[in-house]
Amino acid sequence: MHFSIFRYNPERDEKPYMQDFHVDVAPTDRMLLEVILRIRDTQDDSLTIRKSCREGVCGSDGININGRNGLACVTRVRELREPVVLRPLPSFPVIRDLVVDMTRFWKQYDSIKPYLVNDELPPEKERLQSPAERDKLDGSYECIMCGCCTSQCPSSWWNPKTFVGPAGLIQAYRFISDSRDRATRERLEDLNSDPYRLFRCRTIMNCTEVCPVGLSPSRAIERIRLRMLDVQGHDGGLALHRVPTIR
Amino acid sequence: MAVRIAATGLRAWLVQRASAIYMLLFIVFLLAHFTVDPPHSYPAWHAWMTSYGVRVITTVFFAALLAHAWVGLRDVIMDYVHATALRVGVLALLGFSLAATGVWMMRILWMARG
Repeated sequence: MHFSIFRYNPERDEKPYMQDFHVDVAPTDRMLLEVILRIRDTQDDSLTIRKSCREGVCGSDGININGRNGLACVTRVRELREPVVLRPLPSFPVIRDLVVDMTRFWKQYDSIKPYLVNDELPPEKERLQSPAERDKLDGSYECIMCGCCTSQCPSSWWNPKTFVGPAGLIQAYRFISDSRDRATRERLEDLNSDPYRLFRCRTIMNCTEVCPVGLSPSRAIERIRLRMLDVQGHDGGLALHRVPTIR
Repeated sequence: MAVRIAATGLRAWLVQRASAIYMLLFIVFLLAHFTVDPPHSYPAWHAWMTSYGVRVITTVFFAALLAHAWVGLRDVIMDYVHATALRVGVLALLGFSLAATGVWMMRILWMARG
């Protein structure tokens, strides 16, 4: 198979460039990450990619595959159109090759206070939830923070410092809908305090389209707006959707 | 536990949706009127258009259109124009143009001889 991979080593290269690789892909080769690692091991050991669990759980190997963001470790390599064009996540600063700097992404995540806020005296054992209350977290708690959604969102491209982005906002919704959290109002007011934080979202749903877990950040953002307006009856868990195959 | 609507993100978003709904209803009403009971002459159309009720709902339509345009273009400008001074300038120019269009519309609608 023919691969065209984005290369950039700031210590050596003046400018990024695309490098071609040809690899024999056997029927036993399943996921893209395996093939990238084989290119590294057999053709160019300077090729750099971030990875850890290799099974779509850690969210480390988010890259842009033939124009769409996804996780290399859960993308079936033999279904990809050739040449397979691999680039780092769009709009994130490149550290080297396919590895990006996610500092800004984590800053936005941190800004939504991604932890339970509850000053009440803790009960002896734990803060209990009814099964129905727990169900409300479905469709948002599963986020693996891979950055695929935020990196594919034009609103995040234009305003990365001020717009929280889909990943941060689905996490915000996860805490807004948590029955144990006591800061719901503060969270909603914070997201409405500046017209850039949430309202740059124009609901084009790129985030939902590329989420490798099948979550819908755009649905979560819609829910946050409804909560701001105190519209009742839209607080069940969010549905997961089938993840489209990257070709 | 609705948050204060005064804050500008939510308010603009609401204005855009509410104005869209009103404009849609107005267009449907207009199409229905011209299908069911079309005026057959210019004086008949003119009389209908300058009747008090039609003038009022048309005024609200143009108010909705201008508000809708303001939020939409303001969003585009907020997205792309990052230098504060330039953004304020462009927004002021836009606000002035929309306001002038509004005044012009009002003149046409309300100062036409009935």
